[in-house]
Amino acid sequence: MRLIVGRSLFVLLAAAVTGAVSARAHHSFSMFDTATPVTLTGVVSSVEWTNPHVYIELDLTEPVKGARHWSIELGSPSILQRGGWKFNSVRKGDKVTAIVSPLKSGEPGSLLTRITLPDGRVLGNGGPTGVGPGITAPPATAPVK
Amino acid sequence: MTRMARILGIPLLLVASLTALADAQSSAGRAISGAWVPMGGGRGAAADPKIAPPPATPIVLKPAYAKMFDARRAADAEATKRGDAPATPAVLCLPYGMPRMMTVASYPIEILQTPGQITIVTEAFSEVRRVFLDQPQLPIDEVPPGFYGHSVGRWDGDTLVVDTVGIKESVPGYNLMPHSDQMRITERIRLVTPDVLHDQITIEDPVALEKPFTYTLAFRRLPNYKMVEFVCENNREYIDEQGRVRMKVGGQK
Repeated sequence: MRLIVGRSLFVLLAAAVTGAVSARAHHSFSMFDTATPVTLTGVVSSVEWTNPHVYIELDLTEPVKGARHWSIELGSPSILQRGGWKFNSVRKGDKVTAIVSPLKSGEPGSLLTRITLPDGRVLGNGGPTGVGPGITAPPATAPVK
Repeated sequence: MTRMARILGIPLLLVASLTALADAQSSAGRAISGAWVPMGGGRGAAADPKIAPPPATPIVLKPAYAKMFDARRAADAEATKRGDAPATPAVLCLPYGMPRMMTVASYPIEILQTPGQITIVTEAFSEVRRVFLDQPQLPIDEVPPGFYGHSVGRWDGDTLVVDTVGIKESVPGYNLMPHSDQMRITERIRLVTPDVLHDQITIEDPVALEKPFTYTLAFRRLPNYKMVEFVCENNREYIDEQGRVRMKVGGQK
């Protein structure tokens, strides 16, 4: 039993050092492959400005990983607003290019890293805006077209 | 006015002025209404040690609870290793409850001071807790177990001391640790500068913990911030029959 207590104490101390307070509100991002981002270009078929996440549905110009339609998950409206977004920053029918982290399951779902809007503006997925760190997606490693 | 009255009056006026000054200072120190954002996820700003909260004290669980917690951590680590999100109640859009609701990522909280009550509203999941001032705490077995329990508070100088009991066992504790229905949360909330707030939280649980532990959260004032609504209406994450967190894609609802 002493061993169990000792191990638990070690784990808790390790957690206290590495991240005592969860950085995510809703779920961890471990289901997304943040190491190999992909670029999606297409036309927005819907924008859902909702909690716990905002979603963009995209009909791709060219299929990626065999799918012509992808879902993109973003942070929450609160986090995005503090990152410079408005509820109508992206609209249905917009042609956009997004860099995303795909689902590890292989399904055509993803987490946004950043998106280029029709007018050339680039928006991230929340992030530091002067009010503390937001839900920060990993930095993009692929170039934005 | 007689000479004696004048002689007595001067010190009385002086005392009254000093008391008024102390009240004014105290009242400024108690002005915690408004929106606050967790600094560094609540851990404070490392760049400024003057306002950084002290490190947390060690958490030592009793053997049965340590075993539960180890099993939980192992399951979460296994999920992360195979590329899944750990299945927490938040995945299902359940609110955090006390004490985790006080810092959810970088979501602000709002403190509202009204006569006899302090209300704390969180932006994430729109959680609400009410602190009843200058009332005795209820015995734990008279509080229906819930997410927020029953909180009473009093001012100790410039520090708001809040006592909370009645948190149900299914509400995960600090760092997702297990706890019993006997958990007691004591908070000492105070301004360390006019715009930085600390919430020192002490968790006591004679059933689950070998000894109490304490950690401190730091917040920065957000002047003129308008809290954003958070209704969990479109949750595409779900836990499948294998207990794995999945995301609905392609417009699946």
